[in-house]
Amino acid sequence: MPWKSGYTISDERTVQDSDIHWPGDRACSFTIAVCLDPPCGPEGLTPADVRTGEFHYGMHAGLDALRALLNQHGYRATFLASAVVARLYPSVLRSLVEEGHEVAAHGYRREDVSQLDAAEERRRLQLTTEALDQATGARPLGWYSLARRDDKFAGGAVSPNTMSLLIEQGYTYMGNSPADDIPHYWVTEPETPTAILAMPYYYHFDDQFFLLFPAEGTGLEHADSLGRNWRAEMAAQHRRGRSFVMVIRPYTITWFHRMKVLGDFFDYVKTLDGVWNATALQCAEHWIKEFPQEKTLRLKPGIWKDYADSLS
Amino acid sequence: MSEQGFAEFTPLLDAVESNERRYVPIPGLRWPQGANIAVNITVDFDAMLLRRLLNEPPMQLAKGEFGGRVGVWRLLELFESHGIRITMFTPGRICELYPDAVAAFAKAGHEIADHMWEHRVPAQADVERAHLARTCEAIERLTGRRPQGSRSRHNHELLQEFGFIYTSHHWADDKPYFMANKRGRLVNLPFHYSIDDAMYFSFSWQNTENAAQRITDSEKVHDLWRDAFLQQHATGAGYLNICLHPFVSGRSMRIDMMDRLLTFMKSRPGVWFASCEDVARHCIDFASSHAKGA
Repeated sequence: MPWKSGYTISDERTVQDSDIHWPGDRACSFTIAVCLDPPCGPEGLTPADVRTGEFHYGMHAGLDALRALLNQHGYRATFLASAVVARLYPSVLRSLVEEGHEVAAHGYRREDVSQLDAAEERRRLQLTTEALDQATGARPLGWYSLARRDDKFAGGAVSPNTMSLLIEQGYTYMGNSPADDIPHYWVTEPETPTAILAMPYYYHFDDQFFLLFPAEGTGLEHADSLGRNWRAEMAAQHRRGRSFVMVIRPYTITWFHRMKVLGDFFDYVKTLDGVWNATALQCAEHWIKEFPQEKTLRLKPGIWKDYADSLS
Repeated sequence: MSEQGFAEFTPLLDAVESNERRYVPIPGLRWPQGANIAVNITVDFDAMLLRRLLNEPPMQLAKGEFGGRVGVWRLLELFESHGIRITMFTPGRICELYPDAVAAFAKAGHEIADHMWEHRVPAQADVERAHLARTCEAIERLTGRRPQGSRSRHNHELLQEFGFIYTSHHWADDKPYFMANKRGRLVNLPFHYSIDDAMYFSFSWQNTENAAQRITDSEKVHDLWRDAFLQQHATGAGYLNICLHPFVSGRSMRIDMMDRLLTFMKSRPGVWFASCEDVARHCIDFASSHAKGA
């Protein structure tokens, strides 16, 4: 598209269905992202947030149940952990990596970074990288910033500097962008152009918005709608040959009927031919190799004209 | 004595009387070839523009961007595969952000209509006029034709002056009707939120709180809209104006949902899929040929 800073993050048109290909001629990619961090406010995780039975369950029985289900299906997932979780449960993260899962960074303490200056955001980003490196034995290559449950918007908060800092700090991909339903390039500098690969995310496939949302005790339960969304999107993306990314949490999805919704969905995926279950990193590496920025990103110069009576 | 007690109701009576003058029904309205229903599929091509106007954060803008780089093209394919003509309501600014998409819709025979310059109607009359003029020029430059209709709160006298023949905004009836103004009247093609995709699927729509979020699934909405269609179809001269946003309905699962819904509609007799302009022109012709003494 005609580029317009402050409005657009990528080019005018997505990669067409017919131009997309996956390793081994598989039909589509399928990524399971598992968020380990418990709910918190914009200030980030507090002792009260991690003192809950919910979080304890999510790091013990709930996580065990989810790992068992993933293993039963032979699925590899991307687990999201903040620096807090990495410092609290380093051995859990290491064991996930040993099982073949990916661990990606999910912020310093899940705080709102949108108002931070670049130096402070960089400092927290480096600390997070270090915490995950220490826990898993390798530095994370993916970064997520999912919305907190009580956020006004469901897309997750980033600052004006986040994407540039991720590039500077050597991250391969940013995990949650709603601008496409396949990997795409999030442009930080249109002139050069400089960009980071962004992985697709859409809140209609994220369990936290459907299961007693916005809060246990007062929120509404829509596990049935969540399951129907997963299935409908998976079917459509499989037919188109694109990507499907779901987000689940061990402390929400593993309860009762919800576990059945998840199990039934995994059983459904098994009926589809050629689904490539990939971690976000595997998917990102394939994309960067097969659809590099130089060949894929087609930015056109802006044709925007400013007027005194209009937004700039 | 009791009449005096109701004196304070006078402003309410005035409000209702002004409505009685303003909303002009089209008695006995029928569709061409005796169709049972006219269906207007309308696409509000906001992309990220409204998100930007409301100063929402980057990920909200990126959510809107999906509509421009992915969703709008899928909708174009969907309408072409069904051979139906639709109306795109576009802000003028979108012509600078997604010119290829707007031009492709026009080239495929769809109607391109006004949805304000930057998704707002300025309070100052001279600025409003400048915005409307700029939007008309932007659309004409891309499509070769000036817009004939508007989905907006633009001043109706101003719209008449610019040659508009209809609006599609709000509802005072479930069938098309006229709205009188000082220069004459415009057709209004009623648009109802219960058949608007954003009401079901767009998180934080219209500043909603988290406890009132729109996170349902497409199967449920398919069934509701199928029943909306059937309810209108059964009236014998029904009308349905389904509003789709590319950043919402352009998601794969919802394209499949609309594919099923359009297939179902086409399986019923007497369904007139038309652009809003076609329906508005029919309403004007019908009203003039059925006017008293005509």
